[in-house]
Amino acid sequence: MAIDPVTLQVLANHAQAAAEAMAFTLFRTAHSTFVKETEDFTSGLTTPEGMTFASPRDLGATWFIGLDYGNAIRMIQDYRPGDVCITNDPYSGYVCTHTPDLHIWKPIFWGDEIVAFAVGHIHNTDVGGAVPASLSRQLTEVHQEGIRIPPSKIYEEGRLNKTLLDVMLTNVRMPEQNWGDFKAQLASVATGERKVHEMIRRFGVDTFRQGIQDLLDLGDRRARAVLGKIPDGDYHFVDYLDEDGPGGVPVRLELTLRIRGEECVLDFTGSDPQLHSSLNVPTGGAERHILLMVGYTYSLYTIDETIPLNGGITRPARCIIPEGSVLNPKFPAAVGMRSLTCGRLQSLIIGAFQAAMPQAMPAGPGSSAGIMNVKTIDAKTGRRIMASINPMTGGAGGSSFGDGADGSGANSSFLKNTPVEVNEAEVPIRFRRYGLVPDSGGAGKARGGLATELEFQLFSPNSVVTARNRDRTRFSTWGAMGGDPGATSSFWRNPDSNHAEDLGNTDVVNLDPGDIIRIKAAGGAGWGPAWERDPALVMRDVSEGKVSVAAAARDYGVVVRDGALDAAASESARAQLAAAAASRAPAHFRFNPARDAYEREWTDASYAALAAVLAMLPVHWRHFVKRRIFDRVAAMPAAERRADGGHVRAIFAEAIASFPELRHIRPAAE
Amino acid sequence: MAYRVGVDIGGTFADFCALDEATGAVRTLKVLSTPAEPGREVMQGIAELQRRFGIAPSDIGYFTHGTTVGINAVIQRKGVKLCMFATENFVDVLELARLKMPDPYHLLSRRPEPLVTRDRVFGIRERMLADGSVDLPLDHASLRDALDRARAVGAEGIVLSFLHAYRNPAHEKEAARLIGEWAPGLPVFPSSSVWPIIREYERTSTAVVHGYVQPRVAAYIASLQASLRKAGVTTEPMITKSNGGVMTAELGKTQCIQMLLSGTAAGTMGAAFVARHAKVPRVLALDVGGTSADVSVIVDGQPSYRSGEMVGEFPIYIPTVSVTSIGAGGGSIAAVDAFGTLAVGPESAGSTPGPACYGRGGMRPTLTDAFVVCGFMGHSELGYSAVTVDRAKAEAAMAPIAAALGRDLQSAAEAVIQVAISGMYREVSKLAAHQGVDLREFSLLAFGGGGPMTACLLARELGMASVLVPTTPGVLSALGGLVADVKNDFILTVYAPLSVETLPQLREGFGRLAREAEAWLRDRQGHRGTPRLAASADLRYHGQSFEIETSIDLAWIDTGDVARIAEAFHREHERIYGHADREARVDAVALRMIVIGESAKPALPTQDRRAGPAAADAWIDVLLDGQPRRVALHRRADLVHGMTFDGPCVIAQDDTTTIVPDGYAGSVDAFGNLHLTRGS
Repeated sequence: MAIDPVTLQVLANHAQAAAEAMAFTLFRTAHSTFVKETEDFTSGLTTPEGMTFASPRDLGATWFIGLDYGNAIRMIQDYRPGDVCITNDPYSGYVCTHTPDLHIWKPIFWGDEIVAFAVGHIHNTDVGGAVPASLSRQLTEVHQEGIRIPPSKIYEEGRLNKTLLDVMLTNVRMPEQNWGDFKAQLASVATGERKVHEMIRRFGVDTFRQGIQDLLDLGDRRARAVLGKIPDGDYHFVDYLDEDGPGGVPVRLELTLRIRGEECVLDFTGSDPQLHSSLNVPTGGAERHILLMVGYTYSLYTIDETIPLNGGITRPARCIIPEGSVLNPKFPAAVGMRSLTCGRLQSLIIGAFQAAMPQAMPAGPGSSAGIMNVKTIDAKTGRRIMASINPMTGGAGGSSFGDGADGSGANSSFLKNTPVEVNEAEVPIRFRRYGLVPDSGGAGKARGGLATELEFQLFSPNSVVTARNRDRTRFSTWGAMGGDPGATSSFWRNPDSNHAEDLGNTDVVNLDPGDIIRIKAAGGAGWGPAWERDPALVMRDVSEGKVSVAAAARDYGVVVRDGALDAAASESARAQLAAAAASRAPAHFRFNPARDAYEREWTDASYAALAAVLAMLPVHWRHFVKRRIFDRVAAMPAAERRADGGHVRAIFAEAIASFPELRHIRPAAE
Repeated sequence: MAYRVGVDIGGTFADFCALDEATGAVRTLKVLSTPAEPGREVMQGIAELQRRFGIAPSDIGYFTHGTTVGINAVIQRKGVKLCMFATENFVDVLELARLKMPDPYHLLSRRPEPLVTRDRVFGIRERMLADGSVDLPLDHASLRDALDRARAVGAEGIVLSFLHAYRNPAHEKEAARLIGEWAPGLPVFPSSSVWPIIREYERTSTAVVHGYVQPRVAAYIASLQASLRKAGVTTEPMITKSNGGVMTAELGKTQCIQMLLSGTAAGTMGAAFVARHAKVPRVLALDVGGTSADVSVIVDGQPSYRSGEMVGEFPIYIPTVSVTSIGAGGGSIAAVDAFGTLAVGPESAGSTPGPACYGRGGMRPTLTDAFVVCGFMGHSELGYSAVTVDRAKAEAAMAPIAAALGRDLQSAAEAVIQVAISGMYREVSKLAAHQGVDLREFSLLAFGGGGPMTACLLARELGMASVLVPTTPGVLSALGGLVADVKNDFILTVYAPLSVETLPQLREGFGRLAREAEAWLRDRQGHRGTPRLAASADLRYHGQSFEIETSIDLAWIDTGDVARIAEAFHREHERIYGHADREARVDAVALRMIVIGESAKPALPTQDRRAGPAAADAWIDVLLDGQPRRVALHRRADLVHGMTFDGPCVIAQDDTTTIVPDGYAGSVDAFGNLHLTRGS
C-alpha cells in the first residue's frame, strides 16, 4: 500500500537532504586533494535490498544513480548494529568497478530490523599494485591493479578490525591519505545513519519503509512514461575506441536499443571480446549494471529533466551482454582503465537514443580526451613535482535546441579545470596556449561545441607527461540528422618543428628539456544539415573566431567578404551543398573519413562473422585470435576481402588449424 | 539633525527605517519600488517620512542606501558594452570558466553566455610569469590595434585580463595608462585593481561584472545625490556594501563591485544587530521574500564571509557576507504533475503579478495563498496598506490543486505548505552540512514578509528549539545598513611558503596593506575616528587546491612568530574539516586586511515590563497540522516586554504574520522581540 503522495514528496525532500548531507560531510572531511579536486566519490542511501534511493545532486560523481549494492550486501552474513563493511574488488559482486574505488556500506537498524544501508565510495589515489596510482592501460590482470578487499566487515559492532586495516594500509603507497579519506567515508555513513533515524522519528518506521520503496516506484513510473514517448523500434548504433591497447586495433561497441512500449532492452551483442589490457568494463552481465546505465540515465534525464534521479528509473531497462566481452569480462581480466571505455559506452548509448529521439537528443559528444599529469623537477629547488594539470575536454554535440556547449559539456560536464596561474605557480612548466580550437566543432544546423587545446613547455630532463584516457584521434564524434562529425583529438610533441612527433593516443611520454606538448580534444558533432544553419549564426561564429571564413564557405556555404555576408554568393553555395547531400545515400549519422574507411575494411558483416567465430573459442583465446585475424585482414589486398565476411571465416579456419589446442573446434562450412 | 535613515530597495518594496537618535525609537515605512525609474521610490519615501512621522529631510543626519541597480543590470543583461583585452593565446578565460557545467547530468547543459562575447575579446602580446618577472614586454602595437578594433565595435569600457597580474600588475597598469592617453574618457578596468587574486577566471569574472555595471551604478548614484540634495537632505549618503559595511556614495561610484550583494548582506547585518541585542549567540537568519529565501549563519553576533557569490549567473570573488539563496518564497507557485506529485517552486509569481490573494493579476496558487486558505493571513493590513488579502481569490487559485490531489481546499493548501517547508528543510540542511554546523544549537531568526510565517514549521523540521522574531521583520535590511560600520577589504597575493625565510615578505605585505587601508579610511572616506585593522591570511597545506582564511594577530608578524600563524591555521583546518596535519608545509596564498571605521551604534529603546499572559485580540479558525483549530489572534503591537503566550496562535502585524504551532511557548524581551521556544 503506497503512502500518500504529499507525504512521499516531503519524504523525498528529507531523503535528498540526507544524501546531500552525507556528501558534504565526506567532501568536507576528506584528506586527499584528489577527492576535493575531482569529486570522484559518492554517497547515498539504499533500501534493505541494496538499491540506491537517494543520491546527492550537488556534489560527487555522476555515474552512480541507481547503484545496486545487493550483491555485496548479500556476501556478508549476520549484520549487527555498529557494523561497517567495505570492498574494492571488482570481481566480488560487481558493485565496485575498479580497485581504487573503496566502497563502504553500513546497515541502519531500527530496533532489530535493517531499514536501510548508508553507502558510498571514494576513488583512492593509489591502492598499490604494479604502477603508482594503480591504473595503467598496459595491465592485463586484476592482480596487478593493487590490493583487493572482498566484502568484509571493517567494523564489527563498532570495533575496528585492526588486522584488516593493517593489511590494507601495508599494501598501498600513501597509507595516511587512504586512512584519512576512509575516516571521511565513515563520517559520511554515520551522518546517513543519523539522518535516517531522524526520518523514522519524523515519519514513523512504516511510512519510511514503504516510502523508500515508493520513491523507487515513482522513478520507475516516470522512466516508463519517458520510454513510452519514444516510438517502438530497434535502434542500432556502433561506436569504437581507437585502440584496444598501446598501438592496438579498434574496439567495437555495439548496441541495439529495443524500445517496446514503456520498456527497453539494451542489447550489447556484437561488442568486442574482452581485451588483453585494462580497458574492460566489469559488469558481471547484470541486467542493470551501473556502468551500463550511465548513458541511459543521462539520456532519459535529457529527454525529461523532471524525472527523479534514483534507482527506480533503471527498472524498465534490461541489458544483454555476452560473457567474455569487453563489457562483461571474465576474471581475472584487468579493468582499471574502464573509465576510457565507459566514456565511449556513454556515447554509444547516447547515439542509440539519438536515433530513437532525434529531436530530443544531441549529436556525438567530444567527451574527455585525457587527464593530463606532469612529473618533472623544479630547477630552483631540485624537488620532484607530480601534478595533475588539467582534464582535456571536447565540446558537446549540437541538438534541435541549439549549439553544443563549447569547451566541455555532455558526458564530461562534471570535469573542472585548474587555472593556468595556479599550474604555473606550482609546476615548473610554461603554458603557451589554453583555449578553444576554432573549426573543431562539427558543422550543422546546430554546431557542435569546440574542443579545448593546451600547449605547454617543460624545462627539466626526465620529465614525464601522462595523459590518461586518450582516444578519438582516429574516429571522431558522429554527426546526426545530417550534421557533420567533429574534429579528431590530437597529441603532439614539438609541433610545427622539424622534430615533431605525433603521439596519437599515447598515454605516457618521456620528455627532454625544452620539449613542447600540444594536445587538442575532440570537437562535438553537428546536428542537422549545415546549409540550413541561419547565416546570421554562422556570421556570429565567424566574428567570434569560432568558425573561420574558409570553413564558413566550405561547410556552411556562407560566403563572407570583407567581414560581411555575401548573400547572393551564399545562396548559391548553400544550394550546391544541399544538392551534393541529396546525391549521397541518406544516413541518420555521419562519421569522419577514417571511420568510413575502417568500416569499408571491417563491414558489419565481417564483424558479424568475427563475433560468430570467436564465440566458438574459450574466452581466454578470443582476444588472441581476434588480433591474429586483424593482422591478416590488414595485410590482405582489399580485393580479397568479401562483403559477407567470408574471408574472416577463412582466416579463422586457418588459425584454429595451426593451434593443436583449438583443433577440436569445427567451424560451420561455408 | 536627529534622525538616521536607512533605505533598502527590493523587488516589491523599498524599505525605510528611521531611527531617532535622541530616543532610539525606530520608525518603519514601505513604499512600492519603482524599478523602471530607480530612485523615485527613495524620494517618495522621504516625502512619506515627513508626512507620516514629521521627519523633515533637513532632520536626516545620516543616510544609508542599498540599491539593486547593479545586480539588476547583470540579471537583465543591461550593462554597458565591454571589450576585454587578454594575454594572447589565453583569450577564452570567460568562455571556458572552470569547465564544469551547471547541471552535469544533462547532456544539453551549458554555461551562461559570457558578458563579453568572444568577438569582443582581443589578445595582447605580453606575458608575465608566475614569479612576477616579465617574459614578454607589453607590445604597444598590439594594444593599439586591439583598441582600434574595440572602438570600431563601440566599446563603452575595456577590461584587462593579463596572466599573473595579481603578482605583477605592471602590464595592466601600463596598458591602462596608454589607453587613457589614446582614448581619454573610455573606462578601463584592470583585473589587478578590481580584486587582485590568483586564478584568472575568478579575477576576470569579478572585473567583468564590475566593469559591466560601473557606468550604470555611477550614473544612478549621481542622480540620487542630486535628488537628495534637491529634497533638502544635506548629509552625504552612504552606500551599503556586500561585506556588511558602508562607504560614501562618492566612493561607490568607482567601487560598485563592492555593493552588488549589499541587500542580502545588510539583512544579515540587521539580523546580527538584533541577535546581539536579544543575546542569542547562535542564529540562523532566514529572510523569506517573494521569490526566494536567504539564509545565513550568525555566531556571537558575527556573520560568516565568503567569496565566489553569484551575481545573477556570474561569480564574483570579493569578500561578501555569506548568504545562501533558496528558491522558495511567498510567491513560489504550486503545481501537481501528471503523476500526482505536488511541487512548490522554483517558479515564482514574484512581485508581479504576485500571489493570487493580492488581487494584482496573479491567478496561480502560491505558498502565500496556501497560508491564506488555511486561515492564517488576512487578519491585518499587509505591506503598509500597499496590498490587501483576498481570500476568495486564493481559494479559487487553490481549487485545481485540491482537485488534482483529491483533497478539500484547506487540506490541499496545507499540503502545499508541507511540501514547501520540506523543500526549505532540504536546502537548509545542505547548508548546515556544508558549513559543518549543528542546527540544534541554533535559533532561527525569521524576517522578511514570509519568514515569521514559515519559521516555526521549518525550525521544527530542523530540530531547532527556538525561533526569534524581531520587532520590525519587514525592514531588517534597512536597519542593517543603518547600523553598519565603514568597512573595506584589501588583498595581496603572495603565493609563498609560510616560513622564517619568507617572513620579511609577509611583514612587508601586511605593512603595505595596513598603509593602504588607513589611507582609504582617512582620505577616501574622510573618517576621523581610530581605524580598526583586522589581518588575515589565506593559507593551505602544500598541494591543496583551496585556502582557509585564517585570522592573524599582527603582533605575531612583528615578533616573527611563524609557529603561531601555522598553529592558527591548523586549528582552523581542524575546526572546519575535522583534522589537521601539523607536520605538513603551509603555504600562504594571499594576505588580507580589513579596515573598519566604527559608526555610532544606536541604542534601541527598551520597553517597560508588563509581565503576564497576553490577551487574544480575536479568535480565528485555521487548519494547523491537519486539524481545524480555533486559535488566538494577537496583535503584535499589543505584545510587549514580559508578556507570555502559548501556541497555537497567530500574531499579526502590518508587515508579516507569525504562526505559532502547538508546543511553543512565547515571550517578549525588553526590545519587543518575540522568543518562541518549543518544549522538549
